[in-house]
Amino acid sequence: MSINDATVAVTEELATRDDMIICEGVDKWYGDFQALKGVSATIKEREVVVVLGPSGSGKSTWIRCINRLEQHQSGRIIVDGVELTNDTRNIEKIRSEVGMVFQQFNLFPHLTVRDNITLAPIWVRKKPRGEAEALATQLLERVGIPEQADKFPGQLSGGQQQRVAIARALAMEPRVMLFDEPTSALDPEMIKEVLDVMKDLARGGMTMIVVTHEMGFAREVADRIIFMESGEIVETGTPEHFFTSPEEDRTKLFLSQIL
Amino acid sequence: MESTPLDTQTTVESDVATRPEEASLPPLEWMQRNLFGGGQGSVGAVARSTSLTVVFTLLGLFAYQQLLNFIFSEETNWNSVRVNLRLLFTQAYPESDYHRIWVSLGLVLVLSGVGLGLMKVGRGISMKKIATWCVGWGVLVVLGVFLRQPSVLVGDDGTPLLADADGVALARDGLGALVYLDGSPAPSQGLSVVRESYGDAISSRSGWLLIGLVLIGIAAAIWFGFGDKRRRSTFLPAIPLSIAGIGALISTTWWYNWGNYTFSTDEETGVSGFNFEPSVKVAETTRNPWTIMFVVLVVAYVLGRRLRGRAFEQHFRGLLILGWFLAPFVTFFAILRGPEFDWAYVAAVDLPLWLAFGIGGAALMWALTKPGIGEVGRVLAVLVLAIAAFTWIAAFFGWFGMLQKVRLSFLLLGLTALLAPNFIGEARQRLTLVYVWTGTITIFHVMATIINTPSSIEVPTEDFAGGFMVSIYVTVFTLLFSFPLGVLLALARTSRLPIFRLLATVYIEAFRGVPLITMLFFFTVFVNLFLPEGMELALLAAVTIAFVLFSAAYLAENVRGGLQAVRRGQYEASDALGLTTVQRTGFIVLPQGLRVSIPPLVGQAIATYKETSLLAIVGVFDFLRMARDIIPNQPEFLGERKPALLFICVIYFVGAYAMSKYSQRLEKNLGVGER
Amino acid sequence: MKWFAQVVTLVLVVAALWFLAVQAGDNLEAKSIKTGFDFLEINPGINLNGTIDDEPDTGGRALYAGMVNTIRLAVGGIFVATIIGILVGVARLSNNWIVSKTSSAFIEYERNIPLLVHIIIFFAVLSGLENFNAGVGPINGWLHVSNKGLSVPRIYVADGFYQWMVFILIGVIIGSLVRKRRQAQQDATGVMTHPTGAMLGVIAVVGAIGWVLHPVFGWVGGIFDAIADGIDSVPADLVQVLLTVLAVGAAANWIRRFLTSRSTPAGLANLTDDDYFRMIFAGVGAVFAGAFIWILWPGGSSWIVNSGSDLFNVLGEKFGDGRDGGPLGLGRPDFEQRGNFPNPGPGGLNFSQGFAAVFFGIVLYTAAFIAEIVRAGILAVPKGQTEAAKAIGLRRSTMLRRVILPQAFRVSLPPLGNQYLNLTKNTSLAIAVGASDLVQVGQTVYNQTGKSLEVFAIWMGFYLACSLTISVVVNFFNVRLAIVER
Repeated sequence: MSINDATVAVTEELATRDDMIICEGVDKWYGDFQALKGVSATIKEREVVVVLGPSGSGKSTWIRCINRLEQHQSGRIIVDGVELTNDTRNIEKIRSEVGMVFQQFNLFPHLTVRDNITLAPIWVRKKPRGEAEALATQLLERVGIPEQADKFPGQLSGGQQQRVAIARALAMEPRVMLFDEPTSALDPEMIKEVLDVMKDLARGGMTMIVVTHEMGFAREVADRIIFMESGEIVETGTPEHFFTSPEEDRTKLFLSQIL
Repeated sequence: MESTPLDTQTTVESDVATRPEEASLPPLEWMQRNLFGGGQGSVGAVARSTSLTVVFTLLGLFAYQQLLNFIFSEETNWNSVRVNLRLLFTQAYPESDYHRIWVSLGLVLVLSGVGLGLMKVGRGISMKKIATWCVGWGVLVVLGVFLRQPSVLVGDDGTPLLADADGVALARDGLGALVYLDGSPAPSQGLSVVRESYGDAISSRSGWLLIGLVLIGIAAAIWFGFGDKRRRSTFLPAIPLSIAGIGALISTTWWYNWGNYTFSTDEETGVSGFNFEPSVKVAETTRNPWTIMFVVLVVAYVLGRRLRGRAFEQHFRGLLILGWFLAPFVTFFAILRGPEFDWAYVAAVDLPLWLAFGIGGAALMWALTKPGIGEVGRVLAVLVLAIAAFTWIAAFFGWFGMLQKVRLSFLLLGLTALLAPNFIGEARQRLTLVYVWTGTITIFHVMATIINTPSSIEVPTEDFAGGFMVSIYVTVFTLLFSFPLGVLLALARTSRLPIFRLLATVYIEAFRGVPLITMLFFFTVFVNLFLPEGMELALLAAVTIAFVLFSAAYLAENVRGGLQAVRRGQYEASDALGLTTVQRTGFIVLPQGLRVSIPPLVGQAIATYKETSLLAIVGVFDFLRMARDIIPNQPEFLGERKPALLFICVIYFVGAYAMSKYSQRLEKNLGVGER
Repeated sequence: MKWFAQVVTLVLVVAALWFLAVQAGDNLEAKSIKTGFDFLEINPGINLNGTIDDEPDTGGRALYAGMVNTIRLAVGGIFVATIIGILVGVARLSNNWIVSKTSSAFIEYERNIPLLVHIIIFFAVLSGLENFNAGVGPINGWLHVSNKGLSVPRIYVADGFYQWMVFILIGVIIGSLVRKRRQAQQDATGVMTHPTGAMLGVIAVVGAIGWVLHPVFGWVGGIFDAIADGIDSVPADLVQVLLTVLAVGAAANWIRRFLTSRSTPAGLANLTDDDYFRMIFAGVGAVFAGAFIWILWPGGSSWIVNSGSDLFNVLGEKFGDGRDGGPLGLGRPDFEQRGNFPNPGPGGLNFSQGFAAVFFGIVLYTAAFIAEIVRAGILAVPKGQTEAAKAIGLRRSTMLRRVILPQAFRVSLPPLGNQYLNLTKNTSLAIAVGASDLVQVGQTVYNQTGKSLEVFAIWMGFYLACSLTISVVVNFFNVRLAIVER
C-alpha cells in the first residue's frame, strides 16, 4: 500500500493541509520476527487517525516508533519536517513536539499531580515555575479534575490518572498526540470520561493518532481509520467507508469478529 | 537504561512480550556502539564514552598486570601451596586413612552424578556463547603474554641474579657473598634483580601465546563457520561439557607433578610437625583415586540419564533426596570419623535396643492404625509422649541414669504415634507407617551408635576434621539444622499467638543484632560456664551450634518475607475450604512462602559458606587458618602468606560464585519476582 | 488449648534460662570468680593500638576507646562505602561495555570472597610495603603509605571552633532567607537566580568573617553556665518521680490510643486475646520501668542530674572567653622518633596497618553489596516510567535525577539499611588483624580480668544499641519517603 493509495481515500480538504507525520516503508524486526513490514502513511495537520487491528498486529509498535520509544531499522519517519535519525538533538526535538499517552498511564508515583504536569515544562521548556503551575491548573481544568492537583497518582482512580497523563502530555504543548490504547486498562465506567477528554482535544484541532479498540470513538471522531494486521497496513479509509463497505477480506473478518 | 532487556510490564502487544534476542552485530559495529558511544549521534556522547573506555581499560589492564606479575613472579613461592594441598584441604588427616576421604567423595559424586542425570536440562550453551568465551579468554591470555613484566633471571643455585645500581651484573663467590664478576666486593645498597629482555620474555612465553591464538582461532572458526542464526540456535549440552572439563582437569595429574606435605610425628624426637616430603608428589598418590572418582561420576551420570522418564523416577528422586540428607552424616561420622566399634558392647546393648524399639514400635504402629481404633489411639500416642517427656524431666533432676539414645527413641516413637491416625485404613496404608517407623529408628540407632563410638583416626589436633573439609561440613550441618529451626521461628513470628511471637521476635532480633564473632566467642569461651559439672562441648560442636543458632535467625527473616508474600486470599480460600490452622500452614502457606524465599535462602547458604572463615579466629584449624598462620610458620616457607591466601580466594570464589549463579538460574526458573 | 501451649513453652524457656543461670552461678563460685562491673573502674594494665587512649587507666576507659574506634570505623565506612557503592552500581548499568564489565568484575570479586579473607589480604599487602622512614611517600608530608600503615592530613577542631559555629549558624539563617527570596524570584520571573549557590555563598562569607571575629561570642558560655547551675538545683527525687510518671503515662497513653484504634462508631470492638496480651504487655513494661527507676538503679536520677549539668558546664567552657585560637586546624603527617625507629607522629591522621586493612576491606566489601542494591533499585523502576519520561521530552540526566533515582532510592532504602547494619557488625572482624575495636579490646579485657560474661553483656548492649539506632534512622526516612497510595 503506497502513499498515493492512502491519500486517495481522504477528503480533498485534507489534501490541502500540511503533512505532519510521514512514514515511508518503515521496517522493524525483533530478532527474526518482523513487527512492521514497510509501513507507509502520511498524517496531515489537525487530522485524527484511529489505528485498528487485532492484538499483535504492530499498531503499538508503529506509534512507539514515531517518538523513538522503539527504533525502526529501515525506512523514514519524518515528523513536522524533522527526520528521526540517531541524532539525539532530532529525537529531543521530535519528542517535545509529540505527546504520548500510555495504556498503563505511567505517571510518576513519587510526584504530586501538579509536579507530574510541570516537570517537563520546567526542565525541558525552562519555563518559570509560576507559569508552569498556572498552565497545570488550566490543563487540569480542561481535563476536569482541578481539585486533585495536590494528590499523588496512587490516590486517584484509573480514569483520573489517565486524564492527568493526558494533561501531562499536553503541558508540553505538542503538535501531535499519540494514544496507545488509552482506555484498555480502565474500568468500563471510567472509559467515557477519558474518551470525552479526547473528543474535546480532537475538536480543538489537535493532530492525533489513536490506537484503540473503542469502535464508537473511531466512528464518531476519526477522520480516517487505518487497519493493520501482521505489521502491515491493510486498509485505509473514512469511518463510513471502513465500517460499511470494507474492501479487504482481512478487514471484513476483523470487523465480523468484533462487531 | 535503554540497554536493559527488562520486564515487559508496559508492553502491550504479544509480539513485544515474547521478543527474541536481537541479531548479533558485526564485531566492529558492536565495538563502536558499546565502547565508543556510537549510535547516539552526538559528539559529546562519543567523547564521554570513549574517555570512559580508555580510563577503565587502563585500570583493568593495570590490575591484570599486577596480578600476573605476582602469580608468575620468581619470588612468589607457589611450592608453599603446592606441597601443602593436603594440609589445606584436610589438615592432618592421616595418610593411611585417606581412602576414607575418597570413599566419602565417591559417595557425594554418585549422588551428584545421578542427580545431574535426572535433572531437567535447558537448551545448553549456544555456539555464540562458546565463541564469546573463547575470544574473551584468548584475548586475556595474549594480553597477559605482553603485559607481564619480563622474568627475573635465576642463577644455577636457584637464587635470582642481582645487579648494582648501574645495572652491572653481580655474582656470588664460593662463600655466597655478592661480588662483581672481577671478584671485587659489591655494594650492599641499591641492588636490583636482573630481568630478561622483552623480546626473550615474549619468545619464552610462546606456548601461552599459542594457547591464546588457538582460542581466538576457535572463536573465529565458530564465527565464520556458522551463520548468525545458526550460531545462536546451535547448542552444546551443558552438563556433559562440564563433566568433560572436570575430566580434563583430572587428567593433569597424569602429566603435572603436584607436590606433597604431611603432618606427622618425628619418630626420633617425638615432635609433631609438618614434614616436607619433596620427593613424593600428590599427583602420584592421587592420580588413581581421581581417575576412579571421574569414572564413578560418569557412570552415575549415565545411570541418571537412563533412569530419566522411567515409571519409578519419582520414587528414585525421593530416594536421592534422602541420600543427600543422610550423606553429610554418613560421610562425616561413619566414614571420615572412622568409628572404632566395641563389638561386644554393640551386641550386648545397641543391637537389643534397636531390635526392641524396631519391633515394639512396628507392632505399636500396626496396632494404632487398626480401623476403628478411635480415641484409644490418640490416648496411647499421648501416653508414649508422656513417657518420653518424663524421661527428660528425670534427666533434668538426675533421678536415674538412662542412655540418651533411649530418651530420644521414646520421643521419636511418641511423635510417630501421633501421625498414626492419618494412616488408618487397609493393610497397604498401615504397612507404610510401619516401614517409615522401622526406617527412621534404624537410621537413628545406627547414627547414634556411630556417634557414640570413639574415633580411630589419630591426629595431633582435637578434631580429626580440618582445612577446607571442616568449612564444608560446618556449612552443610549449619544449613541442615538451621533450616527447620528458621522455619519454626518464622512461623512463630508470624503466628497469631502472642507469646510465641514475642519469644521468636526477641530471639531473632537478639541474634541479628550482634556480630557473629561475639556469638562464636560465647559458644567457645563462655558456654562451659553454663553447662553442668563434667559436661563439655567439643570445639567443633560448639561452633556449629553457634552457627546454627545465628543462621536460623537470618533464615527466619528470609522465610518470613516469603510467608508475607503469600496473598491474603490464599488464607481466606483455605479457611473457606475448612482447613485447620496446621493444614493451612503445611499445605498452602509454607509451600508457597518457601518457594518465594528460595533465592534468599541460597543467599543465606552462600553467606554461611563465607562466614565459616571466622572459624580461624576461634581456634579451629580451617582453610583460612592454614593459609594465614600454619604455612607461613613452616620453616621452608617462613612468611609465605600471599600465595596460599590467593589460592583460598580462588576456592572460596568458585564455591560462592557457583552457588550464586545457581540461585540466579533458580530464580529465573521459579519465576520469582514476576507479577 | 492454644494458651496452654504458649504458657507451657514460656515456662519451659524461662526454666531453661533459669537452669543455665544457676549453673553459671555455681560454676563461677566453684572457680571463685566474682561477677560484677567493678572492673570498669580498675586499671586493667593493657595497651591498645590506634585508639583515642592507648594506655587506658580503667577497664571502662579501655572499652570506651574500643567503642569509639568501632563507631569511627562504622561511620566512616558507611560514608565511603555508600559513595563507592552508588558509583559502582551506576557504572554497572552503563551502556559502555567495558565500564559495566569492570564494575561487575569488581562486584563479583568482592561478594564471592569472605570479608575476613579480604581483610587478611589487605593486611598482608600492607605488611609487604616499604619500611617507614623519613622519606616515605608517595607524597611526603601529605600521604604516607608504608608498613606502618597509612597517614593522611587531618582537620581538627581547635579552640575557637564552637564560637565559630555560632557564626555559621547565623550564616545558615541569613543564607536560607536569601535562598527563599531568590527561589521566589526565580519562580515568578523564570530568570535563573541560583538560590542554593547564593545560600552557600552567604554562609561562606559569614564563616570567613567569623574565622577572625569569633571571640566576640565569648559571652555565650555564660548562658550555658547558668543552665548548668539551674539543672544542679533540681532535686533528684523530683526527677525520679517525673521519670516514673513519664513511664506510666507512656504506657497509659499507648493503651488509650490502642483502645481508640480498636473502637468503632458502634462502640468498642470485641478484643481478641492478642489485644489483651498487648495491653498487659504495655502495663508490664511500665511496671518494669518503674521498678528499674526505684529499685534497680535508684541513683539513676541523680546521675542524670549530674551528667546534665556536667554537659552544660563543658559547653560553657567550650563557648567561654579566652579561646582565640582559630576554629579549625590542619595537621599533616609527620614523624616521631621512638627508640631507634621513626614512627608516624601525632600530626596526621594515622591508620595503623590493621585499622587500614579492616577499613578498606569492609568499605570495598560493603560497597559491592550496595552497588547491587542500587542496581536492583534502578532496575525495579518500571520501564513505563522511562518511556513516559522520554515521551515528555526529558533529557537522560533530568530523567535520572527527577524520575528514576528518586524512585530507585525508595526501593533501595530498606536493604541499604540492612547493609549499614552488616557493616557495623562486620567491624568486629578487626580482631583478626589486631586493630583495637570493641570486640578486640573486650577480649583483651576479659583475658586480663576474667570478667567474660560482663564483657559479653557490654558487647550485646552496644551492638544492639547500634542496630537500633540505624533501624530507627532508616525507618524514619522510609516512612517519610513512602509512595502515597490509596
